[in-house]
Amino acid sequence: MTGCASSGVRNPSGTPVTELKADEAGTVRGTGVESQDLVAVTDKMARSILNVKQIANAQNPPLIVLDPVRNETRFPINKDIFLSRISGQLISKAQGKVQFLARDRWETLQKERELKRQGQVTASSDPTVQEFKGADYFLTGKLQGLTVKAAAGTSDYILYSFELIDARTTVIVWADQAEIKKQGLEDAAYR
Amino acid sequence: MNRARWPLVLAGCLVLAGCATTPPTKLAFTGDPLADGENAIQNGPPRDRVLWEYRTALVAMRQGKYDIARRDLESAVARLMNLYGPDKSAKEARSLFKAEARKTFIGEPYERVMAYYYRGILYWMDGEPDNARACFRSGQLMDSDTEEKTYASDYVLLDYLDGYVTDRLGGDGADAIKRAEASAKMWKPPQFSSNANVLVFVDYGAGPTKFATGEHAQELRFRCNPSSVRSALVKVAGATGKAVPYDDLCFQATTRGGRVMDHVLANKAVFKKTTDVAGNVALIGGGAVLATQHSRDAQIAGMAMLGAGLISKVISASTVPEADIRTWDNLPAYLSFVALELAPGQHTLQVEFLNEAGQVLNALTKTVVLQIPEGGRDKVIYVSDKSITPQML
Repeated sequence: MTGCASSGVRNPSGTPVTELKADEAGTVRGTGVESQDLVAVTDKMARSILNVKQIANAQNPPLIVLDPVRNETRFPINKDIFLSRISGQLISKAQGKVQFLARDRWETLQKERELKRQGQVTASSDPTVQEFKGADYFLTGKLQGLTVKAAAGTSDYILYSFELIDARTTVIVWADQAEIKKQGLEDAAYR
Repeated sequence: MNRARWPLVLAGCLVLAGCATTPPTKLAFTGDPLADGENAIQNGPPRDRVLWEYRTALVAMRQGKYDIARRDLESAVARLMNLYGPDKSAKEARSLFKAEARKTFIGEPYERVMAYYYRGILYWMDGEPDNARACFRSGQLMDSDTEEKTYASDYVLLDYLDGYVTDRLGGDGADAIKRAEASAKMWKPPQFSSNANVLVFVDYGAGPTKFATGEHAQELRFRCNPSSVRSALVKVAGATGKAVPYDDLCFQATTRGGRVMDHVLANKAVFKKTTDVAGNVALIGGGAVLATQHSRDAQIAGMAMLGAGLISKVISASTVPEADIRTWDNLPAYLSFVALELAPGQHTLQVEFLNEAGQVLNALTKTVVLQIPEGGRDKVIYVSDKSITPQML
């Protein structure tokens, strides 16, 4: 039977798909930004924004535009995902306390308005009236990193900073941060 | 045959059939590097997947098929980023009886650096300079664990581009630029123009390849391949940019120093040799005892020595200390970069490759027709001496 042992295909049946929660650390790990970090950071930011007095006490829901996050770490990431999740959390849980302007759909919206103005499609209001709204606040952020690599492994610290900027005065009315540090060491075969 | 024996024979056949394994699929190569690469990624051994992704991505970039390059490098870089902790294939590669090449290939540091470098170029092409910078930074980190710290993180272009992007994004890239200047051994990178809107990445020559030396091929070595191309000129709209070599991949491959894995392989080689010698001694000794001593005890001892010798020889023969010489074999030798400022509109850019004497190698000249949009983002161009020509961007 020992003679039958082969070095052919390993794990020939594959590995079944495992469903994980987004805030759960899986078995495939790196020292960069992972889904559990995204969830933890954006949850914290969404909760924090709702406590800002300019939002909590506003007579009318403030209008917010998302300005892309700046990535200053060593990890290439999909930067929009942070603001998408924060805005998604706010829209679904803040019960209309804030509203977001769809500036990332600007071209599509402009085209639609143009079609209405030209009478090529129907309009429920006078399309010549300017109804596109301006922002009260900009929500933006920055990811900064610090990396150490030594014989003992690689350590990555990431500081997630987010800000809400008053579009009229440029005052930063809210800022919050989250920080995550991870370390790991690759197998000796790769060192 | 006796009918009573049929069940036994059948049972034996079934046991043997159960042992049969499907042999690994032999890859058929067509000569089209892109098709062959795609096929190898899909159907080749999983441990070689990243190697083929590297190779195929570079072929695709040279053919202007950036979507394919993006997909393959995305996958390869994701693997590079999740390298930590136990890895079954790597553990096997460290074991006495499995070759180093059993491990999932991610390449030597200079190969990992280049995966990040090319991914960075693609991010910049897509209008994401901060993600490009992230790749350049990660690339530099891949080169940080050299034996001699003098050669750690010493890619000129990676620091230069880090500083360049930082400056373009409104930050202070001065430190990174200083590091680039300090690392420059061939040419110092030029002062960059903040107004440049056309960024040309040029590479040329043949990159290093790997081979193994030592009694059991346990020592990994790099071969620097001769290159007829030693420099390049980027010509457009009456302006000429010198695409001189800032980084030499052969220098990078050969200045990394010893790996941890080299010690593992050296130990495997010593074990192989020791068990071989011990086997020889036991076989000769056992044979001698059997030939000269005739007492029952001596015969038993002689047989035991022969048996031990055989076992030792088998163990020696099963020990695999060979170094992994799988290579990202279509890498260039030299890396360069030119930044230009061009007015909006259509331009025809030419890249001329020069030999050591500074003569133009006409057969290698590449043409790129590019459209600069009004007030648009940076136009990022990649040209190799192996690129197709003309390219329309």
